[in-house]
Amino acid sequence: MELEILKEKFYRLVAPSLPNEWDVEEALAGLTLDDAQQIEEIFAQIPAIWPVSHSLCFSYLSAAGPAVACLAPEELSLWVHGLLDCYETKGLRGAQLFMEDVAEHFLRQIRGQGGLRLADVRPRLQTYVSGLAGRELPLVAAEAAATDGESIFLPAEIGLYEDQERNFLFFKLIASFQWACLHAGVFAAPPGFPSGKKKAHPLERFFSTFARPDQARSLYHFFETARVLAVLKMELPGLMRQAEPLLGQLTLSADDSQELTLLDHLQQGLLRDKWPEPGRYGRIDQARLLLDACRGASADNRASLEAVHTLMPALDQEEDLTRTEPMVFQGTLLLQEMRNLGLQQQTSRELRMMQSLTVKLHAGPRPPEAGDEEERQGGSGQQGQDTALIVDTPPDWPHGPPPWEPMHVDNPEAAGSAQAESAEHQRGTTVVEQTTQSAAGQAGRMFATGSGVSQAGEEAWQEPLVYDEWDYRRKGFRKKWCVVQEREMARVQTGFIEQTLTRYRGHIRRLRHQFEMMRTTERFVRRQRDGNDIDLDAMVESLADSHAGLPPSDRLFVRLARDERDIAVHFLVDMSNSTAGWVGKSIKEALVLICEAMEMLNDRYGIYGFSGMRRLRCEIFPVKRLNERYSAAVRERISAIGPREYTRMAPAIRHMTSLFAQVEAKVRLLIILSDGKPEDYDDYKGEYAIEDTRHALLEAKARGIHPFCITIDRQAHEYMAHMYGEVNSIFIDQVDRLPARMPEIYRALTS
Amino acid sequence: MHAQQQRIDEYRIEEEPYYLATGDELAIAEAAFHEGAPLLLKGPTGCGKTRFMQYLAWRLQRPLVTVSCHDDLSTSDLVGRYLIRAGEAVWNDGPLTMAVRAGAICYLDEIVEARKDTTVVIHPLADDRRQLPIEKRGELLTAPPEFMLAVSYNPGYQSVLKDLKASTRQRFIALSFDYPEPELEVEIVCREGQLDRETARLLVKLAGMTRTLKDSGLAEGASTRLLIQTGKLIGRGIPVRTACRAAVSEALTDDTELLAALDEMVTSLF
Repeated sequence: MELEILKEKFYRLVAPSLPNEWDVEEALAGLTLDDAQQIEEIFAQIPAIWPVSHSLCFSYLSAAGPAVACLAPEELSLWVHGLLDCYETKGLRGAQLFMEDVAEHFLRQIRGQGGLRLADVRPRLQTYVSGLAGRELPLVAAEAAATDGESIFLPAEIGLYEDQERNFLFFKLIASFQWACLHAGVFAAPPGFPSGKKKAHPLERFFSTFARPDQARSLYHFFETARVLAVLKMELPGLMRQAEPLLGQLTLSADDSQELTLLDHLQQGLLRDKWPEPGRYGRIDQARLLLDACRGASADNRASLEAVHTLMPALDQEEDLTRTEPMVFQGTLLLQEMRNLGLQQQTSRELRMMQSLTVKLHAGPRPPEAGDEEERQGGSGQQGQDTALIVDTPPDWPHGPPPWEPMHVDNPEAAGSAQAESAEHQRGTTVVEQTTQSAAGQAGRMFATGSGVSQAGEEAWQEPLVYDEWDYRRKGFRKKWCVVQEREMARVQTGFIEQTLTRYRGHIRRLRHQFEMMRTTERFVRRQRDGNDIDLDAMVESLADSHAGLPPSDRLFVRLARDERDIAVHFLVDMSNSTAGWVGKSIKEALVLICEAMEMLNDRYGIYGFSGMRRLRCEIFPVKRLNERYSAAVRERISAIGPREYTRMAPAIRHMTSLFAQVEAKVRLLIILSDGKPEDYDDYKGEYAIEDTRHALLEAKARGIHPFCITIDRQAHEYMAHMYGEVNSIFIDQVDRLPARMPEIYRALTS
Repeated sequence: MHAQQQRIDEYRIEEEPYYLATGDELAIAEAAFHEGAPLLLKGPTGCGKTRFMQYLAWRLQRPLVTVSCHDDLSTSDLVGRYLIRAGEAVWNDGPLTMAVRAGAICYLDEIVEARKDTTVVIHPLADDRRQLPIEKRGELLTAPPEFMLAVSYNPGYQSVLKDLKASTRQRFIALSFDYPEPELEVEIVCREGQLDRETARLLVKLAGMTRTLKDSGLAEGASTRLLIQTGKLIGRGIPVRTACRAAVSEALTDDTELLAALDEMVTSLF
């Protein structure tokens, strides 16, 4: 196809954008295919890629030609799907790498020829490991298998076997083995080498007592592996029975080496039960006896230490045990990392201890006013003040370097016991952060107080949540795309509430009466087969019938029926910039009215505002949480509702859906108050925004939530029915009617 | 009256139920019985609350009337109602009234499931008055010393709706139950599920693993009851893994990922 025709086609697809002509030419130059059908297919994907990234689109066009050659026609869209996912997680460079080798990165996966990836088995394996360990032990992709006591490192992909079943089994074996290392105390300090305050791991210090520490290390690791396998056989007999054939077939470094080291012999003996004739090498016979001792001693690592002690002097000078590769599942011993983690745990423990010490220290010489203060404030507030005092005067620090500086402390418990707070270690990036976090918030708060950060600023912060976003062009989700944060709203005291209450006085009275009528009602249902009491009328009739020779009715009872309202409702209020002025005022008045009316009912209701700008800052403002009372604070927050930024509606809806997940109610209702289409500062507008919102609403419906929208947008009918479904939205043409209409709508919806 | 006697006799427990005490719960319950105090048992499902009540009733030689509460349970379901028999209105005692008259133990299982206004009827019975008013007959029953009221609930259901009113719960002597220690649980599973010790040990280990999965989305782990059921399946010749899948994994969750993870645990152990 002519380049000119392609260019024209391209410009038509990406209109109204006008990319540089030379960029386009360069990208299209690679497409020298004659097959018009293929060109059509490649071009069909442009609308999905162009809005995501222009550079990516150019790279795609350059790479698409060769890619199409090895892809089946229906695989191209899947490939683009993978490409976009890759771009969003790894950036442009990652996406380019993805495109470079279609066969390696894509085809093998979808045609099931590749190895098994950790990412694919993680959901299953992670839960399994958590169950084994009884605590969170994250699985992390790494070069070699290992554990540092807080996570288990596994290879990112295992392709040892042709079938995925055995690959998975091997994953499971490695994970179980690493867990068992922790469980069996492989990392425990040897006797005579207390952990103390020394920097090196006790085992490392034990190894360094030999002339060649790395040899000792290899030997120890092997003997411990044998012991751990024996422990696994006892603890997880099923797994070991399954894994036995796999272990027997494992490739060992002995297989392609002429000269076998002691370790090679031992590995062969352990996995294949292949030993040289007894009596031929005394050393190996001796090692074999030691190996049996290790396998029998499941309690601790002393037998292995003993084995190292015995065998090290017998080792030839030329013999290099490190030449023998460790077995695949063995991985490496992360003594250093384990010690670093131990340091953090110990530091946080010391921090807490010092905190309690400082409180004790200051109990005596406090001036009398401070004592009064304590009585007024209660204990915990005072504690914060005391620690702040200490931190303000660093020279008085009683323990040398301040604990937020990295320092090395040993960890005697690393081999075993779980620390609740230690899961935090994996997330942070620097030791400073980790130490402050790891003291369960205590330490962090202490220093925050010391450096003068106000308490109010701290309490407003909450963990942000991440939601996917629907991209209709590629019919798939953009994973972890929107960052939603709940933010506290400043309370405002104005006359707004009183004015509204006065203005709508009569209306509120009428509403309250109407809502009162909707309350849970109890009524007697007559003529039931079973009930609380006898229905005398029915009884008399029945007796009369019976005397008259007619068949008597058996419906003789009265039952008390309760029509229970088990309703939870969230009002989601658009706080975008366009609600400024009288629109916003009407919405606020409507909220006041509905709250006043809702107080007559037992329905649980929450009010949330939403706004934000771009996908990374979607903000949700809780005005009233579901179980909160309609208090003065709530009224002040309603007064504070005001226009903010944009209307990215879908993340807010998804957040409401997730809030509803924790609520048990027969009817779950989500009422959205909006003044226009969903729209954001970036490309989030038009069809994309509407489709994303529609998808978010569909997700909500799938979870048993009924969404309903009240809008004042005149153009609403164009998209409303599509987004919400025909009957799930209402348009109010006069904004000033909104306050009066909203309770009516609610009443109609729920009765 | 004769018919009444016959009815209550059906609730007597003749044979000693198997129960392995895990603490001093028996001593406390017996003391409560002799003092006429009502008993509140709390703990996760299938940890032995009901079995404990059966054992206690057997020890005290009292009939045990059990009512499983549900949200449609009305006061008349507990106290009694008039029925029509041969053209006449005949009063029929409810289980609670029957237990009070006969000096039995009345055990209201999962009391939080009942509506709060229903449970108020037990208030006068649960304090030192020990009386049960029967409004429809204009009768005020006073419980004999042998009568005991016991209720149970599972605090694991984290629902605001399903909690006991303070005024109800403050009338009781409370006993907290949990799954037994592993050694005891092995003993129990061994005996009740008629299993060999090794299989029982592995089953208990499996249960232990499932009980730590709260963060992974499993609301409650495998109960001792489930383990015993698994044991019984195994005893009937069902292969161990199949039995575990049917009686443990599938009973615990519908989530495919969790199911897969539970299966991995099962295949690792057996």
